Amino acid sequence: MTRAPERSRPAPPTPSPAQAVGRPLDRVDGPAKTAGLARYTADHHVPDLAHAALVHATVARGRITGLDTADAEAVGGVLAVLTHHNAPRMTPPAPVSALDLSTLAPGTTVDYLNTDRVHWNGQPVAVVVADSPDTARQAARLVRVTYEVEPAVTDFAAAQDDAVPLRGTLLVLGEERTGDAERALATAPVVVDHRYTTPAQSHHAMEPHATVAVWNGDRLTVHEGSQDVDWARRHLARRFGVPLAGVRVLSPHVGGGFGGKAPVWAGTVLTVLAARATGRAVRMVLSREDVIRTVGGRTPTVQRVALGAQRDGTLTALLHTGVSQVGRVGGTPEPVGSQSRHLYAAPHIWIRHSTTTLDVLPTAHMRAPGEAVGTFALESAVDELAVALGMDPVELRMRNEPDRDPLDGKRFSRRDLRAAYARGAERFGWAERTPSPRSMRDGHWLVGRGVATAFHLPVRLPADVTVRLRADGTVLVRCAFHEIGVGAATAQTQVAADALGVPVEAVTVEHGDTELPVGPQAGGSGQTASVATALLEACEELKRSVLALARRSPSSPLRGRRLSELRAGRGGLYRADAPDRGETYGVILTRAGRAEIEVRTAAGTRLGRTLQQARAAAGWFRDRRRWVRAVTGAHFCEVRVDEHTGEVRVSRWLGVFDVGRVVNPKTATSQLRGGIVMGIGAALSEETLVDPRTGRTVNPGLAEYHVPVQADLPRIEVDYLDEPDPTTPLGLLGVGEVGITGVAAAVANAVHHATGVRVRDLPVTLDRLL
Amino acid sequence: MEFLQPATWEEALEARAASRDAVPIAGGTDVMVGINFGRLRPALLLDLTRVPELQQWGTDDGAVRLGAGVPYARVITELGDRLPGLAMAARTIGSPQIRNRGTVGGNLATASPAGDAHPALLAAGAEVEVASVRGTRRIPVADFYRGVKRSALADDELVAAVRIPPRTGPQQYSKIGTRNAMVIAVAAFGLALHPDRRAVGTGIGSAAPTPRRAPAAEEFLAGELDGLWESRAELPPATAARFGELVAGAAAPIDDVRGTARYRVHALSVMARRTLTWAWADYRKGDPACA
Amino acid sequence: MAEVELRVNGTSSRVQLDPRVSLLDALRERLRLTGTKKGCDQGACGACTVLVDGERILACLALAVQYGGREITTVEGLGRPGRLHPLQEAFIRFDGFQCGFCTSGQICSAVGMLAEHRAGVPSVVTPRLAATATPLSEAEIRERMSGNLCRCGAYDGIVDAIQHVAGVDDRAATAEPAADR
Repeated sequence: MTRAPERSRPAPPTPSPAQAVGRPLDRVDGPAKTAGLARYTADHHVPDLAHAALVHATVARGRITGLDTADAEAVGGVLAVLTHHNAPRMTPPAPVSALDLSTLAPGTTVDYLNTDRVHWNGQPVAVVVADSPDTARQAARLVRVTYEVEPAVTDFAAAQDDAVPLRGTLLVLGEERTGDAERALATAPVVVDHRYTTPAQSHHAMEPHATVAVWNGDRLTVHEGSQDVDWARRHLARRFGVPLAGVRVLSPHVGGGFGGKAPVWAGTVLTVLAARATGRAVRMVLSREDVIRTVGGRTPTVQRVALGAQRDGTLTALLHTGVSQVGRVGGTPEPVGSQSRHLYAAPHIWIRHSTTTLDVLPTAHMRAPGEAVGTFALESAVDELAVALGMDPVELRMRNEPDRDPLDGKRFSRRDLRAAYARGAERFGWAERTPSPRSMRDGHWLVGRGVATAFHLPVRLPADVTVRLRADGTVLVRCAFHEIGVGAATAQTQVAADALGVPVEAVTVEHGDTELPVGPQAGGSGQTASVATALLEACEELKRSVLALARRSPSSPLRGRRLSELRAGRGGLYRADAPDRGETYGVILTRAGRAEIEVRTAAGTRLGRTLQQARAAAGWFRDRRRWVRAVTGAHFCEVRVDEHTGEVRVSRWLGVFDVGRVVNPKTATSQLRGGIVMGIGAALSEETLVDPRTGRTVNPGLAEYHVPVQADLPRIEVDYLDEPDPTTPLGLLGVGEVGITGVAAAVANAVHHATGVRVRDLPVTLDRLL
Repeated sequence: MEFLQPATWEEALEARAASRDAVPIAGGTDVMVGINFGRLRPALLLDLTRVPELQQWGTDDGAVRLGAGVPYARVITELGDRLPGLAMAARTIGSPQIRNRGTVGGNLATASPAGDAHPALLAAGAEVEVASVRGTRRIPVADFYRGVKRSALADDELVAAVRIPPRTGPQQYSKIGTRNAMVIAVAAFGLALHPDRRAVGTGIGSAAPTPRRAPAAEEFLAGELDGLWESRAELPPATAARFGELVAGAAAPIDDVRGTARYRVHALSVMARRTLTWAWADYRKGDPACA
Repeated sequence: MAEVELRVNGTSSRVQLDPRVSLLDALRERLRLTGTKKGCDQGACGACTVLVDGERILACLALAVQYGGREITTVEGLGRPGRLHPLQEAFIRFDGFQCGFCTSGQICSAVGMLAEHRAGVPSVVTPRLAATATPLSEAEIRERMSGNLCRCGAYDGIVDAIQHVAGVDDRAATAEPAADR
């Protein structure tokens, strides 16, 4: 799937190849992607294909009172106009249960086209199916809808007073405290206490969401750019009342996700519905406006951070509260205080998250939910405290670096933020910075330098893999994980190659297909480590099986040996004490008359899956009680601000990360850089603008939602401590999200250093600096 | 739905006259967005890219006559010496891909207050040549803009060309956006010094319902430069500052998603002051070719 | 309906289509050349960049019927696995992509950009009085590639790939912020 199937003849035993893990290998899908041959959802042409387009509600809340579809139906080539009057009935989404995480799949609880209720401005109220995308879109514009409008809450800023503190659950962080932060604050000699805000933001993956649905009786095949094909499959089976085994979701290449393609949104469900209703294969490629109207983005936030300190910089109190938004029909709370629980050794800490409920499209997770915006407030406040103390911001952070978790004294599985800052300061030339604001300039450019800490808690998820070893020495790894751009297949190729001692060229990885063993979601920075854990387990099992074949053979040099005495390498198993004694997999399999041998991790059956989930959950809770497993980093940033126009240019960047072991420095660096780029966008330009009176997003496109372009960016330097985490297989943690955290604060801190202007409301736009 | 691809200018004008609803298309940068989003369902599309006259520029009556279909990329590479202000503006338009297709004629026909070419055309004192089967007329560019995305173009007319006096002195262009490229201007300003007639030209973009000049600023600066044209002496900073204020005073901006009115006024004063400082420095150095 | 002869990657096809169909849709839906991507359909992302007579344009802002008889090159026409174009190879080597969705447009854009630079086309960061041979500095590449968004943020790898192919390594010029005019 990721590489051409042709294989060279198995190589004879040669000197052990260099270890693959840790090497900057090229991506295995590079030739396909650079030649334009990688197939994304919208690229699929299937026979008898029809095309669908959405009609969106234009009111925030109410009831549909009239639907005039005659003009749309009259357009030549229109096959059907589906509304709540004629759409087939579906089973509503299941209630959320911690026992079945796939109940989290739907992006909203709305039973699309099975209800006359409107819950947000943009909710799909009709779907047009036609023989061409153009006809469908044109006809969709001719559907006229009337509404009985009901009062709606659509102004986030005005809804602050209705915010409700979250109670902690298995899935949600609640209030946490140690000591008495308010009292410590009242008596602290130095206090900063400010309000910070961040706007709504959108994922804007380059690939707009798209779905191709093909029914064959009760069997359903769906092509879908997805970060969680298992969720999609389970959700669709439930909604359409068909056996799970008959639903297949394919997602070999995903054109970016950032969280936006983890849930199942209206477009997916309605494409499948349209195919069911018309008896045709249906493809729906959302326009970018459709995406913004139907796929949730990051919540806006209002946060308060208060820090109390001694005059020497020792923190005494840390208070971080925040309000995020959810929709009345779903949405995920944004735990903005997440990093504030773990970053500083304050004796008195109080963290609280609240949500306020609006009649808007539910929010969704976007890269580092919680920490991406929470670090803006916390790390800005720490910078403000440094200014108030007249202290270097790096020194202030190091003074308060905890040895154990400040909330409950747990150990960190690994943490060396001091080393990250030390290396960063050295490389960046931090010492050359003059402390006073407006003290560095270059002509009419005011120059500023800022730092901020990056922090993220990668998740671990269960994964199921099969590994097949063939007599020709090639290896096939199969797991329904997701290639959203992180180099996932490349990383697992490297892991498998080392575990089995074969060259990377011998390994093929199949992914992104529910016919494969169930993989983890591409989310929570957990996919690579989660799959690698299962893959290592499977490779051990495979080697045991191979050895079992060899042990039986009187002629094998491995006869009577135990696996612990052997090393995998040179395409086979060799004795650790006598490295020339051993044989290749090919020799062993051929002698045993086996063309191939395959192992599968335990969850192949339903019982296996349940056991595996229970085991994973138990392990997760055990780990969570034992230690804090986090990734951290230190951002160093230089900006130049035009003294007269307020234009901000980011002119230098260095991020030094402590992310455990790095499987592939080439792809990991790209991912971390990508997070930093997205963070720079959030710092300077990104903002999803919602009309507070109507709840309608007014910039649903890339022309007016400004993601960074080449000319906005300096070269972004990334460095690692690259030390394995002692508590995980291979020492892996996760790199997908930590890059974005802290970035906006580093920019705002540098802008303050350049100009003396403290911007506490993102984005840092021109007019805020004058 | 009809599609016409006239091969001559006469055919184009006849087609325009015959179907007032026809949508002319050249580089496609505005029209295609309307078509792709289903906002525009023209009964007739009139493709002007095969009309040879529109793809050419030449000199005529002392002016550069720039065919309406000449893409920005050619303005940049072929006219940087004669029309430096317009060439500088063209370098900031959209992306290189858009500059390879987008045209000044299209910018005029759309008449957006944020169109990047307008401030340069205003400062240079350009004239728009429009034509129909009834004949050809020339409209001073300042009179061409009639409102937000409205122009003096009649519904049977096409933009034939824009006639721009070649530079006789330094020209400058400045634009501020919310990012560094691929951006619609928050505010833009074009300046042309005309030493031959002892005059100053200005153009303001994205800060009023239409692109507009700053006549008071032009008059003030022309007065201040009286005598300095010959001496090429240093310009007093107060003069540049006052010029900036007068330019800002000519704007009538609104708050929108790209920026506040207050910011736009401020930015215009900065851009006017800066472009004047650059332009006068060029003039004092003997004004080498600009763009 | 209109008929147009589309010459793409050296192959000529006669296509019947509604004249409103964009070149992008014609390539993707009619000729099944799906390497060229639709990211915004309004000229704001660059994912649909193709070459016409060697010049880079946005296929979403072009009518297919306007391009009859012109020589169109899409990413599929630049090279195939096993016989990749030097830029395709360099994008792999320098990791100039992640999800790959913008990559076809980036590579076509880079091909067009290098040709523009060779022809002496200046950019907004080119000094005003630049002679025709402006070195292809990192700042020049970033400005000239700004019409192609990459939400994965593979921008540094893209710059490296282009610099490698252009045979320049002008990192020194990057400390400067973009020109202030």
